[in-house]
Amino acid sequence: MKSREQEYKEIFIAEALEYFDALNRHISILEKEPESDETLAEIFRLLHNLKANSKAIGYLQISDVSHKLETAFSLIRNKELSFSDEVVKVLFDGVDLLGELIHNVDNPNYGEPDPLLLRNLDIIVENLSDSTIELAKVQRYNTSKNLALSELIYIQIRKLDHMMNLVGELMIDRDRILSISRELNSDELKSVSSHLYRITEELQYSVMDARLVNIGSLFNKFPRIVRDVAAAEGKQVNLVLEGHNIQIDRNILQIMADSLLHLVRNAITHGLEKPEERQAAGKDATGQLRLAAQSDRENVLLRLIDDGRGIDLNVVRRTAVEKQLVSADTARTMAEHELLSLLFEPGFSTAKEVTEFSGRGVGLDVVKNAIDSIGGRISVSSVKGSGTTFSMQLPTSIAVKGALLFEVDSIYFAIPLIHTEQVVSLDKDELHEVGGVLIADLKGETVTVVYLNELLNAPEQEMRLGDKTRLNGQVQNIIIVSYNNRKLGLIVDKLYRQQDIVVKPLSKPLEQIDIYGGVTLLGTGKVCLVLDVPAITRYFTQRRQI
Amino acid sequence: MPKTSKTNKKAEPETLKALPETTSAEVAASEAGKGEATVSESARELVSPEMVHLIVFKLGTEEYAIRIDQVKEVTVTPEITRMPRTPDFVKGVANIRGDIIAIIDLARRFNIRPDTAADGVNTSYTLVVETDTYSIGVDVREVPQSLNLPLTKIDKTPSFLQDVSVSENFIEGIAKTDNRLIIVLDMHKILTHEEVNQLPNL
Amino acid sequence: MKRILIVDDSFYMRTMLKNMLSDAGYEIVGEAPNGQTALELAKETKPDLITLDVILPDSTGLEVLKGIRQEQPDQKVIIVSAVGQEVIVNEAMEYGAKSYIVKPFSEENVLEVVSKVLAEDTPKS
Repeated sequence: MKSREQEYKEIFIAEALEYFDALNRHISILEKEPESDETLAEIFRLLHNLKANSKAIGYLQISDVSHKLETAFSLIRNKELSFSDEVVKVLFDGVDLLGELIHNVDNPNYGEPDPLLLRNLDIIVENLSDSTIELAKVQRYNTSKNLALSELIYIQIRKLDHMMNLVGELMIDRDRILSISRELNSDELKSVSSHLYRITEELQYSVMDARLVNIGSLFNKFPRIVRDVAAAEGKQVNLVLEGHNIQIDRNILQIMADSLLHLVRNAITHGLEKPEERQAAGKDATGQLRLAAQSDRENVLLRLIDDGRGIDLNVVRRTAVEKQLVSADTARTMAEHELLSLLFEPGFSTAKEVTEFSGRGVGLDVVKNAIDSIGGRISVSSVKGSGTTFSMQLPTSIAVKGALLFEVDSIYFAIPLIHTEQVVSLDKDELHEVGGVLIADLKGETVTVVYLNELLNAPEQEMRLGDKTRLNGQVQNIIIVSYNNRKLGLIVDKLYRQQDIVVKPLSKPLEQIDIYGGVTLLGTGKVCLVLDVPAITRYFTQRRQI
Repeated sequence: MPKTSKTNKKAEPETLKALPETTSAEVAASEAGKGEATVSESARELVSPEMVHLIVFKLGTEEYAIRIDQVKEVTVTPEITRMPRTPDFVKGVANIRGDIIAIIDLARRFNIRPDTAADGVNTSYTLVVETDTYSIGVDVREVPQSLNLPLTKIDKTPSFLQDVSVSENFIEGIAKTDNRLIIVLDMHKILTHEEVNQLPNL
Repeated sequence: MKRILIVDDSFYMRTMLKNMLSDAGYEIVGEAPNGQTALELAKETKPDLITLDVILPDSTGLEVLKGIRQEQPDQKVIIVSAVGQEVIVNEAMEYGAKSYIVKPFSEENVLEVVSKVLAEDTPKS
């Protein structure tokens, strides 16, 4: 029969190993979401139990290390210690040491824990002020000691960027080889190239995958920010975060960080009312702010929803006219979503008095530019008195995007799918010449249509965007693109397939020309120009006004 | 590629045909003989003639040159994809070893009357020019040639040329040798900042 | 026989306490690894005494104590905590915890505190 001591020991070890695994899991989570109070609390509980149990059973080394780690985490919890890289390393080492000690409780040959590691822990726990300097010194010794390597490695993002670029190049060559193998009609080459195709595709996804991070790593920064901004503004705000686990390219998230911060600040400062004002309006004194992420096919949909005062369309209308963005007549007849999209126009929101009255918009154009630059989309909807929602559609990965290929005047073009709504074929007779442009009726919706050849190639002084006689042939292929809530049909000469393309940025001096988002190389080696939908839309608007 | 060639005068891209060259000594001697240079100048040249290596090409009826350290490579012009809504001196973009670069028509850029004698010539050459701010291809009709000559052979831009227009600043100087007159361009200034911005910012 | 409910998230701790107390002649009416189960079992078993850990996965000992107080205002509770939790212990005492045991505990200490608390008069309601 087992002695009670033996039983206790077995229970202790089994439970301690469970805690050890859980610690590893949570510390990894914490690394991604350093602000997660929940995770910290759980780590704290696990260490606390491990400390108490090991002390009770008499494994003092384990309880000592647990105690040190517990102290370190309580410092982190109280924001007296930041979860920085150096600290993370020592804490991971500490948890590894715990595992080592637990595995060796029965091993009489196990010596003492590495004194350097213990010293590191002491430094973190006790020597707050100049811990960084001290730790760096010790870390060197540590690397020489490591026998069991961590399952996690840190990698600089620029190395991943470089890999991504190389994969892009590889894909272009792969497509090239594939088309050569078809031309040569060699079975052997075809089979090799189709294998190459699969491998590059997998490689591409692996590299893309390696760059993905949880959106929570950005979200978790917001509770603190919201608290601070709300306190400064005298507002009560309840922040709800959803979709922590949605994954997105690290660089995209980085670019989004400032924009999101901007929008969140705006929502608290201008969107949400003061408690008294809310109560007077029959609302709860505490304003609700929801930041939600969800996967949407290849994209990530990000929404920021507040239940504040909403946007006053009349003020938007007035401001737009004052700022000469639209004529007074146009402003009167503009639909709600068209009016709201004016918020993103440069020049709309920079004026101070506007923000004071309209409550929205310091530099929304800047936010929009950032999102445009990564090929995303942003829109806003609002109900006066009940709140505003910003919706952002972002690509999950940056380098490879789905695009629609087509030809205009024997030049290959591509448009990223994120901007394409649909593709239609219309008879010439279904296009109407109205007010200097062409329009078409698409299932009840009136859409402005432009012949790309005319827009791109006609001498500017002879450009006639509303002249049907310029069209070639009877049936017209039209790509409906949308930007800032405005739809525009682009008539193209030939429509090709949908394809994943690797967009190469244009180098100087061409990068100044913003109607091109970049170029891509086709499998044939031919250069294909990638049209920038926001810029081409702007160019069209500018031309039709002349 | 050496910036200025002092010892290895034959240094030139493989793709280029050799051009009959005058040696520095000959140049210096002839110059001294004509008495056009001061004694001290010719003496300095004889001791350590600072040489300039140029790539010479024809635009219209005149000869132009670029310092070789500004030329990355010379290649037969690949297929050019026209880029609508760019200035007319931008012929388009081309894929040169995986790099997509703009191909510039310098004749249009400088409003040079095209040489009708070259009509019907199909092949053209591209000088890939790299500066710290941009990289462009310069499209030329005839095979570019290489030329070594002493720095003193290049006269600074005549002042009246500089006065005519600011945009003429891209002319670094005029080289005179063997009865030839070669306009040496400063590629760093060939697209000025204003001009780069002049590209339609739509 | 006095009936005791053990609340602790560590199986090891529960086993130790269970063995000690049942060896000493108490009946263990239940073991709860978290706050939710603790509240359910407290209501269901109406024990003479509850030993309550302060750190639980879903809750804190303090929250559980408040929950128990609402339903069973006279319930006797002993707080079991590790060193360094004095603040929580003090607060728990204000919420009517009878005594506390500090982990790691000795068998004598546990039995002494438990018998003392059980011997106290239940304030008549």
